[in-house]
Amino acid sequence: MFRQILRSQWLALRLPVALLAVLGFALPLLTVTYGGALENAPSATVAQWLFASQKIGILIPGLALLVGLLLGIGTWAPDHAGKHVYALSLPVPRPMYVLLRFAAGATLVAVPVLALGIGSTVAVLAVKLPSGIHAYPAQLTLRFAMACLVCFAIFFAISISTRRAALAVLGLLGGVLLADLVLAALSISGGASVTESVIYLLTNWPGPLAILMGRWALFDV
Amino acid sequence: MSNAIETRDLVYRAGKNFELRDVSLHVREGAIYGFLGPNGSGKTTTIRLLLGMLRPAKGTITILGRQVPDEIARIMLHTGYVPERPHLYPYLTVEQAIRYHAAFYDGFDTAYADELRRSFTVPLAQKLASLSKGEMGKLHILLVLAQRPNLLVLDEPTDGLDPVVRRDVLSALLDFCSQGTATVFISSHLVHELERICDWVGVLDGGKLVVELPMHGFKNGIKRIRVAHAPSLVGDTPFVMLAREMSGLEQVWVVRGWQAPMAQWFEGVGATVREIVDLDLEEGFVELLRSSRTPAS
Repeated sequence: MFRQILRSQWLALRLPVALLAVLGFALPLLTVTYGGALENAPSATVAQWLFASQKIGILIPGLALLVGLLLGIGTWAPDHAGKHVYALSLPVPRPMYVLLRFAAGATLVAVPVLALGIGSTVAVLAVKLPSGIHAYPAQLTLRFAMACLVCFAIFFAISISTRRAALAVLGLLGGVLLADLVLAALSISGGASVTESVIYLLTNWPGPLAILMGRWALFDV
Repeated sequence: MSNAIETRDLVYRAGKNFELRDVSLHVREGAIYGFLGPNGSGKTTTIRLLLGMLRPAKGTITILGRQVPDEIARIMLHTGYVPERPHLYPYLTVEQAIRYHAAFYDGFDTAYADELRRSFTVPLAQKLASLSKGEMGKLHILLVLAQRPNLLVLDEPTDGLDPVVRRDVLSALLDFCSQGTATVFISSHLVHELERICDWVGVLDGGKLVVELPMHGFKNGIKRIRVAHAPSLVGDTPFVMLAREMSGLEQVWVVRGWQAPMAQWFEGVGATVREIVDLDLEEGFVELLRSSRTPAS
């Protein structure tokens, strides 16, 4: 049963998965494009190189967000298109069906994660690092995997929810923005922003998006 | 004999304009039950309630001796469902769709599926998105028949199909029924189609079950009677009056539950029966709907 769901999901999502895998493989390689043999390079050059590779590293949580978005929403797209009639007619308890879909989607998440892992390893092998600089391919891959799973889970949950629930979430976000506008218009915000507070709550521990924040470096001291 | 499908006082509201009211269905095990009704009468909604896809506001549903929705997964294991519109995943090929479907049913008969596919000439390697409407209809039927279900729920399975495909689908259905004791619940607004295959019939109109009776009772019991000297007021009758119209000096009555000895009743009220005409299923269906909307006086 799981194998068939996974196969069907793969057939539906193979193009976005392939695209994400290419991006996952390419990003770590991009970080060393400026590099080469840095072993005897002056410290200023190494610092510049580290700074450049960290700038590209910022794209990695963006890729995790994209993986979560495309696979989380794509997982339910075929069932949404059929108004869930076929899925509901199958002899599987609904929580079990959701679990199977989630597991299949999470398995597909492994493809870009694996690609990033391979890309990181290749990137590390391609550059000769000066002493004091270290490479963290396994740690970066693990963190990317966790970030992808978190994003996938969030978009999976949004996608499976009813239209009413989706509207409630959108309404909440709209309400937050409106509250900010009203406070600003009335000049009673005192410099505080509701939107900023919400973003802070989401992106700082224990906020669900905290994993996307901070430094994403393949190379560091 | 127990019922494969039984509902009691089923109530469901969809917005302000539509309501299913106190629908009580009794589908006997082994019956081929035709669920008739005009478009928008609530047939699909009733089926979705039966299969736990919608929740009723009131009432109970028992399918194959189990309660809906509590035991719906077990019920669906023994139930084949063909929806009004195909909802299979269009990016799969026929072969992949069969494999996918088979994975959910322990008793899926792959050999029978293959046999049906050959007889239906559904191309194995073709994507579902590129199948014709007829091929898709046949694929749906072959999938549910190969499940070897105890109950088949078919929602307008031949709607929009050409006569050849329609005949293929109905033949396969009848072949399957002749092999065992499966119950078939088939909804349609194509009266003549159900006339050929069903042994029970239920008529739904405006969200209300108008009548539920054996097909022979439906076919033979509805008559158009030309009556002379009819009384202006009709009291208790041994039959059910569906419609009554003036036709020159005579009246034309449409009645249900007619039996030959009932002719004596007319003599008792001083009327004379000029002619009794059998109505076919379609005419009977139309008269039933007419009477349910404007009850005869």
